Amino acid sequence: MKKQIALLIKSSCFLVLLCTLMLAASYLFMPKNNHKAFGVNDAEMLARGILGERENSIDVLVVGDSEAYSSISPMQMWEEHGFRSYLCSTPAQPLYDSYRYLRQALERQSPSVVVLETNAIFRPYKLNDYLLSRAKNLFSILRYHDRWKSLKVNDFGRPVEYTWTDDLKGFRYNPAVAAASTKNYMVPTDAVTPIPALNESCLQDMITLCQEKNAELILVSTPSTINWNQARHNSIAAFAKENDLTYLDLNTMPKEVPIDWARDTRDRGDHLNFAGAVKVSAFLGKYLQETYSLPDHRDAAHDSSWNDALGRYRNIVRG
Amino acid sequence: MTSYCSLLYLAAFLPAVVLVYRILPQRLRWVALLAASYTFFWSVSGKLLVFLLFSTVSIHHFGLWLSAEQQDRDYRLAAAAPAERKAIRQRFMRRQRRILLFASLLHVGILITLKYAAFFSTNLNTLLHALRFPVSLPVPAFLLPIGISFYTLQALSYLLDVYRGTIRADRNLARLALFLGFFPQIMEGPICRYGQTAQQLWEGRPITWQGLTFGMQRILFGLIKKIVIADRLNLLIKTVFNDYALYDGGVIALAMVCYTCQLYMDFSGTMDVVIGSAEIFGVRLPENFRQPFFSRSISEFWMRWHITLGTWFKDYVFYPLSMSGPLKKLTGAARRRLGNHYGPLLSGSFALGVVWLCNGLWHGAGWHYIFFGLYHFALILAGSLFDPLAQRVTGFLHIDRNALPYRIFQIVRTALLVCVGELFFRANGLRAGLAMFHTMVTDFTPVSFLNRSFLTLGMDKQDFIIVAVAVGLILLIGILRERGMSLRETIASRPVALRWSVYYAAFFFLVIFGAYGVGYVPVDPIYAAF
Repeated sequence: MKKQIALLIKSSCFLVLLCTLMLAASYLFMPKNNHKAFGVNDAEMLARGILGERENSIDVLVVGDSEAYSSISPMQMWEEHGFRSYLCSTPAQPLYDSYRYLRQALERQSPSVVVLETNAIFRPYKLNDYLLSRAKNLFSILRYHDRWKSLKVNDFGRPVEYTWTDDLKGFRYNPAVAAASTKNYMVPTDAVTPIPALNESCLQDMITLCQEKNAELILVSTPSTINWNQARHNSIAAFAKENDLTYLDLNTMPKEVPIDWARDTRDRGDHLNFAGAVKVSAFLGKYLQETYSLPDHRDAAHDSSWNDALGRYRNIVRG
Repeated sequence: MTSYCSLLYLAAFLPAVVLVYRILPQRLRWVALLAASYTFFWSVSGKLLVFLLFSTVSIHHFGLWLSAEQQDRDYRLAAAAPAERKAIRQRFMRRQRRILLFASLLHVGILITLKYAAFFSTNLNTLLHALRFPVSLPVPAFLLPIGISFYTLQALSYLLDVYRGTIRADRNLARLALFLGFFPQIMEGPICRYGQTAQQLWEGRPITWQGLTFGMQRILFGLIKKIVIADRLNLLIKTVFNDYALYDGGVIALAMVCYTCQLYMDFSGTMDVVIGSAEIFGVRLPENFRQPFFSRSISEFWMRWHITLGTWFKDYVFYPLSMSGPLKKLTGAARRRLGNHYGPLLSGSFALGVVWLCNGLWHGAGWHYIFFGLYHFALILAGSLFDPLAQRVTGFLHIDRNALPYRIFQIVRTALLVCVGELFFRANGLRAGLAMFHTMVTDFTPVSFLNRSFLTLGMDKQDFIIVAVAVGLILLIGILRERGMSLRETIASRPVALRWSVYYAAFFFLVIFGAYGVGYVPVDPIYAAF
């Protein structure tokens, strides 16, 4: 018995020291700023631009996959309505990553509204990926270990300071056109696509987190002929009803969001292009401002950064 | 769960099984292992678990049937007059052989149907088309249960051992199920014999401190091989092998060496994880590798590489064929005509050819696998044929065959020959393999190394450095093992500060230099696909 207690103490010491070393190494390997020059990977950089926004300055936060960053333009909504929004969306974002971005953003921001683009809800993932993501959240060395190639002396003592933000606020401008077929798009059915169990649990975590932070979580399905269908709509509508959430399916709102599938998609209906995003953002901006009475910051004298970014945004989208 | 190197297996599944196993009383520990094994199988292959269940139940039945025949024979022999005994033995031998043949056909038939039906149909269709027959066979596509190539061989070895009287048929279906389905070995082996592991698994041995720590150390060692070396090399290998026509012979040669290294690190690394996992439960699985790249000949290489597969073929294919009546007669005749060296070699080469054909086919349904097997057959045969000549030449030149320079020459020569075989093994088909080999031989140029364009193939300079360091460490450990040193025991005898420093260093080496996360595609263990 005595020997077993000694072994238990010894192994506990070993593990505590291991965790301490992992935390120390995590700090060392963590990018000390949120730009790719500091080691943040390309896919994450735009989504992590929110960390460089002034504290408690964002009114609407959007999480989701490529559907979100292809369809919603925060700068257009700023130009038309004056509220600040940011897209924490990454390619093929699994829902557990949506939750991670949301949690990370809510540490410094207090948005009134959180928009979840619903495509990620049906993206299945393996339990192993989820565990790995949790482990990476705990020990960021697992996420940034590959920085051993670019580690500099600065990394050893430099404090973490996020200063960079994206002029497009997470939106990705793409004017390409590749027409889509609408043959099988939103064919009426009573079928319901089940939400994967792990994703449903993740959704519940998001709901709880938003409630804690006093943010209204709304579900938005942006138009896509390839990714969206009536069965998915039925599933999300039922989930929203069950959890008392607002659900906007823009695929079912051709009057409000008149997508022309011959011109408004960049890859045959998978994602919208800029022309499609303009239509979605026009509707969504108006809807959000009217429904949630979001403030207009356009004339705020103390912060001209968004108006400055708007100028650069215009240069990009108007060539 | 698709890999023993996944976080799900290492941080959740294995610890959970260890915990349950530890809590249960000794007599029930087999339940934990069996439940874990079937859960593991189901998590990988889902409903295909039914194939494993069928194999288990059927070999249990066939084993008992053979055993009943043997008992019946012994009973009759005891009661028979001496003159009748030979006839009784022969009669029962024939009956047992029929049972064995039926059982083997059933199990091998399932394996062939699931794994090779598409290959045979496609080739038959090509032949029919060439002969202008207006017939086309359907090409079936079956899902393969994980580890079928491994557990089928285990199942057959059990029946053959019962038939030979090496072991007694097991009446306990659960013990047999555990022997066939034990989760650490189901995916990639090692291919165990009933006598080696069944009782160990059933006993519910206690988890000891040494077993736990040594097991975890072995797992860590395997993960370094797999994740730091093999998975990093994959970046270059997939670039070159998928677009081989774009590269010169120098790059192809580099990819060939890298793939050989990847395959070894991947397979032996996974074996370390497997054997380490079993060690935690006090189960000693047979080793599958013994520093194969220290081999001085191809024959020796195959005694050190995938040992359990080699011994399986030796025990259950080579020896029975060599000892069969027709081959014995052939050996006798050949010995008289060709002498004591070449005579037995001629007849033995037939059995050897069959073994290597089976070995090639076992790895997969493809002509390049068959070529791989026959290539090794040719090398082993050539080694035996020319050995007397080589001895004479080295004797004439006064070369000491045991001197270090000659040993190094043999080791390098063997490694190069192995690398060429692995080129065909990895190539996307035989045609691609031949084309790559042709480029390597006819267009070998160091240009890609001189202008450093080889650093754009998926691995940069730092990747090469870290792989070189890791391979150097593994090589050093290999040399120590060759000299009979047990590294784990040596480290365990050192003061705690030094010991822990080594463990932490190994752990962080894996965490920092592992090829995982963004920018890397997870690489499933290569042999799990066989």
